[in-house]
Amino acid sequence: MSDTALGATGLGKRFGRRGGWALRDCGFRLPAGRVCAVVGPNGAGKSTLLALAAGLLPPTEGRLTVLGTTPAAARARVGYVAQDKPLYPQLTVAETLRMGADLNPERWDAETAGRIVAAGPLDPKARIRSLSGGQRTRVALALALGKRPELLLLDEPMADLDPLARHELMGTLMAEAAQHGTTIVMSSHVVAELEDSCDHLLLVGDGRVRLAGEIDDLLAAHLRVSGPAEKAGLDAHTVVEDRVTGRQRTALIRPAGPLGDDWRAAEPTLEELVLAHLRNPQAPALTTAPAATEESAA
Amino acid sequence: MSAATASAAVRAPAARPRTARWLLRLHRPALVVWTALVILGAALLLWLAGPLTDAAAEGWRQYNACKWSEKCPYAQDAILRYKDVYNYLTLSLAALPFLVAAWAGAALTGRELESGTARLAWTQGITPVRWLVTRLALPAAAVAAGTSLLVFLHHRAWSAADGRVDTAKNWYDFWTFHTNGPTTVALALAALAAGALTGLALGRALPALAVSVVLTAGVWGLAQWLMPHLWPAVTRVTSLEHGYAAPYSGVDVAKGLAIRGGGHIPEPECYAATTEGCARIFRERGAVGWFHAYHPASHYWPLQLTTSAFLLALAALFTLAAFRVLRRLSGSLRAGKGATA
Repeated sequence: MSDTALGATGLGKRFGRRGGWALRDCGFRLPAGRVCAVVGPNGAGKSTLLALAAGLLPPTEGRLTVLGTTPAAARARVGYVAQDKPLYPQLTVAETLRMGADLNPERWDAETAGRIVAAGPLDPKARIRSLSGGQRTRVALALALGKRPELLLLDEPMADLDPLARHELMGTLMAEAAQHGTTIVMSSHVVAELEDSCDHLLLVGDGRVRLAGEIDDLLAAHLRVSGPAEKAGLDAHTVVEDRVTGRQRTALIRPAGPLGDDWRAAEPTLEELVLAHLRNPQAPALTTAPAATEESAA
Repeated sequence: MSAATASAAVRAPAARPRTARWLLRLHRPALVVWTALVILGAALLLWLAGPLTDAAAEGWRQYNACKWSEKCPYAQDAILRYKDVYNYLTLSLAALPFLVAAWAGAALTGRELESGTARLAWTQGITPVRWLVTRLALPAAAVAAGTSLLVFLHHRAWSAADGRVDTAKNWYDFWTFHTNGPTTVALALAALAAGALTGLALGRALPALAVSVVLTAGVWGLAQWLMPHLWPAVTRVTSLEHGYAAPYSGVDVAKGLAIRGGGHIPEPECYAATTEGCARIFRERGAVGWFHAYHPASHYWPLQLTTSAFLLALAALFTLAAFRVLRRLSGSLRAGKGATA
C-alpha cells in the first residue's frame, strides 16, 4: 500500500497529433487519505487529469502513478464518476446497482450503494432515462461508492444537485472518506463548493498545475497585503497579483522575508488565492508537497 | 469491519465479473429481434422447401406435359409464388450481414463511446479488453449460429427444387451461391468485427452505423470480385466449330479465342451469318479454337471455403484493429502487473 494516492511527473496529454495540449508538464503528489479539490476554469484540463488518473486515457508524455501503480493496474481500486454521469438509460436503478455488484464481485458494498440511492429517495424500479440530472448523479455516485474504492475520482460531482442533496451527498462522501480512509479527488470550478470539505488543493489553469498542496500550507505561504498606492518594496517577494485601485494598492504575495511595517497583511481566503492565480497566469507555480520523485526511485 | 464487508466475503465464490449477463441484458431487444428474424426466416425456408417447391414442381410437370398445346391448364400461381418467395428470402438472407454491421457499429460500440457508458464499464471491475472480448464473442456466437441455420435451410430449399422446378436458380447464380453456403456466415462475422471497429474508431453511433454498412459492402464486393480467383479454374479449349466448352454451367473466369502460339484474345465481333462463317474469319485471324476458363459445379465447395476463409481473415484483421483502437482510447488494455516500472 502506497502512501501516495496520485503522483505525477512531467505529465502531459495532447488530443490528436496536431491538437493542443490539454495538460502539460504536470507534477504533483497527492498523499493517500486526503480530500483533494481540483480547481480551475472551464477547459483548464481538470477532466483530462481525472480521466488520466482513472486509466481511461493514455498520457502523451510523463508519468502518472495511481495508488502506487499504473492507472490501468489500479482501475479495480479506483472509482470514477465522469462529468456527464453516463449510465445505461435502459436499466432501472436497481438493475444498475446489481450490475455494479456483478461487475465488481470482489469489492461490492451493496449496503452503501443502496443507502445512497434510498436517500434520494429514488424508486428502484425507475428507469435511468426517466431520472433528472441530479438523480442520475446520485445513482452514479452510488455505483462509484459501492465499489468501495481506495481512490474516488469525481468530475464536477455536485453540478446537478440541489443544495440539500449537495449537502447530504457531500456528508456521505466525507463519512466514507473518514471511515475507510478513501482518497477523494473532486473537480469543480466553484471554489466555495469545495472549501469546507477539502484539505488539499490542485489548481489547474491552462493545462498546467498552478498550485498543489495542503490548503492550509498554501494559504500560509501567501499574504494579502494592502497599503498606499505609491508605496513600493514588494520586489523582494514573489508577487502573484498587484492591483492599484484609487489610492489603495493591494497585492497577493508569497513573502520571502519580513514585510515593511506600513503594509497591512492578512492571510487570503481560498477564493482570493485561486482567483489571483487564475487572473495572473505569469505567476510562478507553487507546490508545497514534494513531487513523487522518491517513489520512482524506489 | 462492517456488515457490508462480511456480506461481500460471503459472495466471494462469484469472484469473476459477470460481463456476459450484462451484455445480454443491455442488448436484450437486439437479441429478441435477431431470434425472431432467425425463427421467421427458418419457418419461411421450410415452407419454401416443402409445400411451395412441391406445388411449383407440380406446376412445371403440368406445363411440360402440355407440349406447347394451346389450351394448357397448369398451376402458374404456384410457380410464380415459388419464384417470388425464393427471391425475397435469398435477398433477405444476403442482407442480414448488413443488418449485423449496422447494429454492431451503432449499438455495440458506437453508442457506448458516444454516451460515455464504455468508460463507465471500464471503471468497473472489468478491463477494457475483457469488455471488448465479451462484446465480440457473444454476438459472434449468436450471429454464426443464426446465419448458419439459415444458409443450411436455404441450401436445403434450393436442393429441393433443383431439377424439379425449371426456373430454380443455378448453383452459380450471384445471390444463390452466397446464401447457399458459409460465405454468408463469414461475411456476417466480418460485418460484426467491422461494426465494432468503426464504432470504436469513430466513437459516435450514427456515423459508425453508416460507415460500417459501407465497409461491409466494400468487403462483400471485394470477396465477390476475388471469389473466382481463389481456386484454380478449369480451362478447356475447343474447336472453332464446337463453341465454348461449357456455356452456362458454372462461374466464368475468362472466355475468348485461343490463338496460335498459345495466347488468348477476347472474342471479336463476328458479322457472319453462320457458325462456320465466323469460324473461318476467326481462323484467318490466327485463332485455333475457343478457350473457356470456368468453375464447374465440383468447385462449389472449394470456392465457398476459400471465399469464407478470406472473409474470416478480414474479420480477424478488423478484430485486431479494434483492439488496437481500444488500446489507443484507454491507454492500457490489461491491468498490467508492472507497478511503477
